[in-house]
Amino acid sequence: MTNRVLFNILQALVVLCFSPLVVGILNRLKEIVQSKRGPSVFQPYRDLLKLFSKDEVVPEESTWIFRVTPYISFVAPIFVALLIPVLTDYPLFWAFMADMVGAGFVLALAGFFATLAAVDTGNPYGPMGASRTRMVGFLAEPIFLLVFFTVSFVADSTIPFIVQQKWVHPISNFFAPSHILLLIAFLMLILAEKGRLPVDNPSGHFELAMIDESKDLEYSGPSAALMKWGGWMKFMVLMIVFLNVLLTPWGLASTLDWSAVLLAIPLVLLKVLGFVIFLVLIESSLAKLRLFRISEFMSAAFVIAVVAMLTSAFSW
Amino acid sequence: MEHMPPMLAHLNELAAGLFVVVALGIVATRQVRACLKFFVLQSFFLASSALLLGLAASSAHLMAVAAINVGAKVVLLPWLLRRLLKDEVYTRREITQVVSVPISLIIALGLIVAAYFFTLPWLDAVSATGACRINVPVGLTGLFLGAYTLANRREALPQLLGLLAMENGAFFAGVAIAPDLPLIAELALAFDILVVAFVVGVLTRAVHEHTGTTVVGALDELREGGGE
Amino acid sequence: MILVAIISIPIVAAVFSAFSRDNRTPGILTLASATAVLGLSIRTVSMLLSNSGHVVVGVPHWLAVDALSALILLLVALVTFTASIFSIGYMDFEKSGGVRRYHVNFNLFVFSMLAVPLIQEPNLVWVAVELTTLFSVLLVGFAGTRGALEAAWKYVVLTLMGAAIALLGFMVLYWAAHHAGASRYSWGGLAVLSPKMPPVLLKAAFVLILVGFGAKIGLVPLHTWLPDAHSQAPTPVCALLSGVETTVVLYVILRLVPVVAPVQSIHADTWMAVFGLVSVGVAAFLLLAVRDYKRLFAFSTVEHMGIILVAVGLGGTAARESALIQALAHSVTKSFCFYAAGSVLLLAGTTKIASIKGLMKRSPVAGAALLFGGLAIAGAPPFAVFLGEFSIIRTGIAKGEYLVTGLLVLFIAIAFFAIMNHVSRMVFGAADDAEKALEAPRPLPNICVAALLLAVVPVALFGVYIPEPLGNLITLAAAALGHGG
Repeated sequence: MTNRVLFNILQALVVLCFSPLVVGILNRLKEIVQSKRGPSVFQPYRDLLKLFSKDEVVPEESTWIFRVTPYISFVAPIFVALLIPVLTDYPLFWAFMADMVGAGFVLALAGFFATLAAVDTGNPYGPMGASRTRMVGFLAEPIFLLVFFTVSFVADSTIPFIVQQKWVHPISNFFAPSHILLLIAFLMLILAEKGRLPVDNPSGHFELAMIDESKDLEYSGPSAALMKWGGWMKFMVLMIVFLNVLLTPWGLASTLDWSAVLLAIPLVLLKVLGFVIFLVLIESSLAKLRLFRISEFMSAAFVIAVVAMLTSAFSW
Repeated sequence: MEHMPPMLAHLNELAAGLFVVVALGIVATRQVRACLKFFVLQSFFLASSALLLGLAASSAHLMAVAAINVGAKVVLLPWLLRRLLKDEVYTRREITQVVSVPISLIIALGLIVAAYFFTLPWLDAVSATGACRINVPVGLTGLFLGAYTLANRREALPQLLGLLAMENGAFFAGVAIAPDLPLIAELALAFDILVVAFVVGVLTRAVHEHTGTTVVGALDELREGGGE
Repeated sequence: MILVAIISIPIVAAVFSAFSRDNRTPGILTLASATAVLGLSIRTVSMLLSNSGHVVVGVPHWLAVDALSALILLLVALVTFTASIFSIGYMDFEKSGGVRRYHVNFNLFVFSMLAVPLIQEPNLVWVAVELTTLFSVLLVGFAGTRGALEAAWKYVVLTLMGAAIALLGFMVLYWAAHHAGASRYSWGGLAVLSPKMPPVLLKAAFVLILVGFGAKIGLVPLHTWLPDAHSQAPTPVCALLSGVETTVVLYVILRLVPVVAPVQSIHADTWMAVFGLVSVGVAAFLLLAVRDYKRLFAFSTVEHMGIILVAVGLGGTAARESALIQALAHSVTKSFCFYAAGSVLLLAGTTKIASIKGLMKRSPVAGAALLFGGLAIAGAPPFAVFLGEFSIIRTGIAKGEYLVTGLLVLFIAIAFFAIMNHVSRMVFGAADDAEKALEAPRPLPNICVAALLLAVVPVALFGVYIPEPLGNLITLAAAALGHGG
């Protein structure tokens, strides 16, 4: 029992501590692909340290929403990290609190507050970016639900720990078309939801073209640090769901054993690293879509998710 | 055919699923070149399905069919089109469509469901099992989506690809339900595909030379009561 | 051996035409090949008849001829013969480039049409039908004008779309045959096995093939390409397209009749009758609206294909026999009509009905031919088409199908009125002076007149007298359409 609680806390700590590193590696790799040296992989940690030690400026017109949002953005991914299989393939102490749909709602809550906060400031760029984020979000929502429904349809469950077993036992299930198509749809969702290319350019600094980045434009000091850190953790949580639940449910600890769980940490990080390399390849080979083409990108993801559902419904 | 090893069965299902997805790609994509790539992929999945069924039934015949398909549609056909239609037809251009992309995709999804329910009585009539249950509805889906592409596109090359995608659909059903057609028939069919590509390519070039465009949907002079 | 010769001669002619140096040789080669094919086809028919209708085998399981395919073979050979004569005159007159290209395509097109009735394996027949489209497309677009290219494009897209649907039909048919325990997939084998096949599959296959190849023979609603293609192509090609290509594809559908007709739950008769009637009706009303005389004859093809399908749909040996008579009459008459139309086009340089008046006064030969052709194709007695239509209607009444027959009579009457209305407006009346001044007096090439005279013989003859061997062949072919092979 104690172990389950401790492991669960460890799990959240892994996400908390390593998400800046993941983003740092991602940025470094992108620069290397573009034949540049790029910042150190530890740069995000330094950014956080710097921001935490700075003073904070809050717009005069803003309300409590603006001040609360960073904490929600920061806590929501940690909360989700408690629910999903990060290190173990069995449910830990707090896993009973919500299933995959619940986890999705928690992440959506953070997004909701971020939007409100962006509107709250009165800055013209904030609401513009927020409305775009919402557009992507509105398009992404039905796909998220479709993916979850298909998953639950196939696995008869929305609990990630059960789903994760379903795809690999027997191993031929891995190649079921519904599985592969869900992977594709979910990957497109991650790209859209976290504002990666081709939906949004995360390294763009031009406010007019920003989608995802614009929502923390007005934050400074510790709040900015929390917002950024929260965003990175959300990114890592999504990746871990993708990797540990859908794509490669291997390398997780299967016993209530300290050594097994500790061994799982580097293995999971290795998987995340592989995914990051894959992401860099995608981002380096695609151009950003025009804003109104995003709906087509999302409808492609939607259609793939529907086909995935049909393949399992028609038992192709 | 009746008892496929689960691994091969799942891989075949995967080929079928991806076959449908790339068919949707042909319906929706905006660029002529991407359209051709999707078609090549579709032919590749068709060949994979033939190969997997061939492996399952240990039929050298089906493997030969797979090889013929790869040779004719994955290798020769793009080469032929590239030779025939020079860059002006090929340039990365957004294709004009009659119905917008998202609505097209919704219609296409409806067609997938329709194809499934069309073929259900056929499958039940012969109490089909295994690959037939997958390949027949997917084949009809391919046929429908190809026909929709044909109706929805106004460019010459995507219309041609819609046509060929329809035939791909028929073949996709064919590898499961008519696995041992005489090899000469298979060769003739592959030859036929190449002739289609050649003839339509020549025609497209003539249209392009004559009208300066390949938007064949704009050709609408001939009709009753109209005329010049 | 003789069958192998029949399908290889046009290929040889095509190859030699491709390598010939001057512009006259290809035409002569084409004519020689067409003559040889006609001779061999007549020989095949006589072999068949002297053997009391037994199948003439070329290559076992692949090439063979029974009475039905022999009839189609004969029609193709006959129309090819007259078309190749007309081609020589037409291409001389046109003086456009690409004579060689024309003849190469022409011979390949003829090859594909000959292959359809001869091949026994249904999937290869499908390939042959597809090749008839592919080899004729470039002929349809031969003129290279915007209209011709548009027609060619519509032609290729719609018919190949139909062909893809039919391909799935053939695959499903194979499935059904396989399920019934067939070891070989051939026309004869299918008819024997049909009671054992799952009716659902058989029905699916039949409907897919009917709809798919229906596009190729111009059945409504996939008929829109037909008037375009059949009017934009060079005249001899129009004659082939309208006269025999449609008949050849119809033959493939007819081949399925003995397979599907015995199975009650398919309602094949109803399908064919409904498709046929709708086509006849739509064509009849469109005939009223046409403004182009080549399109006039093209729509009349849609009408005739519909009539033949209705006749087959009526069921029974008598109806099938009259359907075949109608097919025969259609082929010879329609090709003649297009020669007549082509002659008018050579003289007047336009295909618009409104711009042609008093043709009789300007060129008695062309005027008489057009009038004659119009009467014959519209179904006036005593021509062959009249004979066919009359016997179809008689069988319809005898079978008690009053609704179908009544509608058929109504549509035929409308079509008759429409065709005669347009034709008489062109043939009679005084020629406009302005028109006369505009056009240079070009005499019709003698060889075209010769083709007209040759083509008119069967049109006139078959209405009053069908030679006995031909009559026997039709009876045998109608029997082959019945079930049991």
